Amino acid sequence: MKQLVPRRSVLSSTTRAHIAFLILPVALFAVFYVYPILSTAYLSLHSWDGVAPTMRYVGLQNYFVLVRQPRFLHAVMNNMSWLAFMLLGPTGVGLLLAALLDRGLRAEKIYRMIFFLPFTIPAVAVAAIWRWVYEPTNGLLTATLQAVGLGGWAQNWLGDPALVTYALMGAVLWWTTGFAFLVFFAGLRNIPVEFIEAARIEGASPWQIFWKVSFPLLWPSTIIVLGMAAIDAMRLFDVIWATTNGGPAYASEVLATQMYDVAFGRFEMGKASAISVFLLIIAGVVIMPYIAAMSRRVAESEAE
Amino acid sequence: MKKIIWLGAALGALASTITVGAQTVPEIWHYYAAGSEKAGIDALIAYTNKQNPDAQVAGRVIPGNAVELRRQLQTAFMGGQPPAIYQSSMASELKTFVDGGRLHPLTDVWKEIRGDQIFPEGVQRVVKINGVPYGVPYDLSLINNVFYNKATFEKLGITPPADWDSLKAACKTLRDAGIQPLANAGGPFWSLYNFYAPLVSTVGVDGYYKIASGELAFDSPEFRKALALYRDTMVSCYAQNWSGKTWTQAADDVVNGNSGMFMMGIWAAAYMKQAGFEPGKGFDVFPAPGTDGKAIFQMDVFAAPEGPAETVKVAGKFIEAAVSPEGQAAFAVPKGSLAPNIEVDPKIYDYAGAKFAQQLAAASKANAVLPNLFFLLPTKVGTELGTQIEKFAIDPSEANESDLIATLEALRQEALAENAYTKW
Repeated sequence: MKQLVPRRSVLSSTTRAHIAFLILPVALFAVFYVYPILSTAYLSLHSWDGVAPTMRYVGLQNYFVLVRQPRFLHAVMNNMSWLAFMLLGPTGVGLLLAALLDRGLRAEKIYRMIFFLPFTIPAVAVAAIWRWVYEPTNGLLTATLQAVGLGGWAQNWLGDPALVTYALMGAVLWWTTGFAFLVFFAGLRNIPVEFIEAARIEGASPWQIFWKVSFPLLWPSTIIVLGMAAIDAMRLFDVIWATTNGGPAYASEVLATQMYDVAFGRFEMGKASAISVFLLIIAGVVIMPYIAAMSRRVAESEAE
Repeated sequence: MKKIIWLGAALGALASTITVGAQTVPEIWHYYAAGSEKAGIDALIAYTNKQNPDAQVAGRVIPGNAVELRRQLQTAFMGGQPPAIYQSSMASELKTFVDGGRLHPLTDVWKEIRGDQIFPEGVQRVVKINGVPYGVPYDLSLINNVFYNKATFEKLGITPPADWDSLKAACKTLRDAGIQPLANAGGPFWSLYNFYAPLVSTVGVDGYYKIASGELAFDSPEFRKALALYRDTMVSCYAQNWSGKTWTQAADDVVNGNSGMFMMGIWAAAYMKQAGFEPGKGFDVFPAPGTDGKAIFQMDVFAAPEGPAETVKVAGKFIEAAVSPEGQAAFAVPKGSLAPNIEVDPKIYDYAGAKFAQQLAAASKANAVLPNLFFLLPTKVGTELGTQIEKFAIDPSEANESDLIATLEALRQEALAENAYTKW
């Protein structure tokens, strides 16, 4: 008599269920993520106005033209400045605000709200607000400086090519610090009180407690904030486009705004696609090591 | 477990079959999102729908500007779902879509509306591609007027300058009185529109069209002379920190007396009026030196994509109603622009509008109605010209001048090689 053994298919039913559930996300990822990237790379090898039914193959010409173009190199440098700024500015100020508020201020809730509120405003509204703040004659900033006797410091904030990117950074600092603040604040509140108490009993100063105890324990928050900051610096578009359109005369352009202008302002889809590919490569170089390090740490934490 | 698998599969199938619904009522795409512009397009659509009960259309706002509208159109054309009609810039932009085989020729409609009689010659030039009309004008604005604060001019005894020397003298008087002479705003358009006056003064109407067709080089002595004139006159008059302002902020400066003059498109009249600054009382206008008797204009047209016969028919009926004197007035009055149809009664305009309409009529008679050069040039050359002129206006140094000439001339050669220029 044949022994009754449950027939085993190649895939267990659990595996099949997993696959069934994966089909949709993988399909969405492939259609809306992988395909556009490949299609952009393909487009970048062509000359096309985006309207004509046909396009002309030009090989790597778009790439060669770009790397020789001061306009393109200027945008790359601007992206790098933004990267440095996003890693240091909103992160540093957010940490500072979180540390100050963590010391137990009265009306803490109100401060928390005030610090976080700007982050909830859409980019276009941020642009409209700061166009008025930075109006060079009667704007809020110039008027305030004049009121406190520092009128000489007033500048042509958004109109001076040498200054405009820094002015935009000021607006972004106001806008995004709330996020860093909130993550750091939550991180600080999650640190067990016993650690701080123990340090205090040992005679550590508040300064030492912060840098030797709190800050090292904040690493999960720091990693989130820095990672998001780097990604934001690379994909920066809306606030610049809405405030200056990349001007005056390309001065505040980053790669994403330049790509948009070249594609739809000038009908040069091939060149715009080449800019996108460059942006993807630069973002990959900047962000991939971070993602790799992150996944390693997550794996390690899970192993623990 | 089986149930779950089937559920997952069903969800996947559902997701793949979701498609964007077709437009039920033929649509008109435009970017008039708010204020007087929105009032204008709404009034126009209401009028045409009343005239054509069997050919109703619906407006759809594409937020942003010409660039955002292009992006949306490109996607719509690729997806085979273009609107029945859309707001298009004139000349080069129209040509790009015609060359791409996307637009329906409006020859029959043009005949029906007597296009060759009701529109000025300069206006007709920029809607016909190889002699075939592809766009129908409805929104025209002059861009060669200088607005001035009447009270300031009267107080300082300045009369509206008619030539470059008197403009410079007016600037000096204003500056000596502590008033910024000439407001301007940042962006690739406004300095360029100002530059047209010194350009036309130097190269004349023929030279202007020669630049548009690529025949006159950017490194020619004539073009250099125009740049020098621009530097000596308007640039030297510009208000401090102008490049950090938007055009509405610059207009505010004229309203509150911080600036004496502002050269801007006639939409500034509607803006100032809305701010309580009455035309003829608070402000008045004069044609920029070198442009008296001429009219330089910016214009939007309606273009009709190729599509199902029924949609094209609706588009035709819409256009017929929209170019009638009533249709043109329905849009122009709330918007504060001029009706390109010369049969429109000038009485529909206010003080400023009437003045602009007279300028257009006079220029039309003298055959001196000039389209905005920005849109006559191949798109990439026009956009670069705007940016380079803004950069030059911020810092009119020798270095920037050489840079401007070298960049634009290289681009002209490139466009010539690509056969991208058109003789309008």
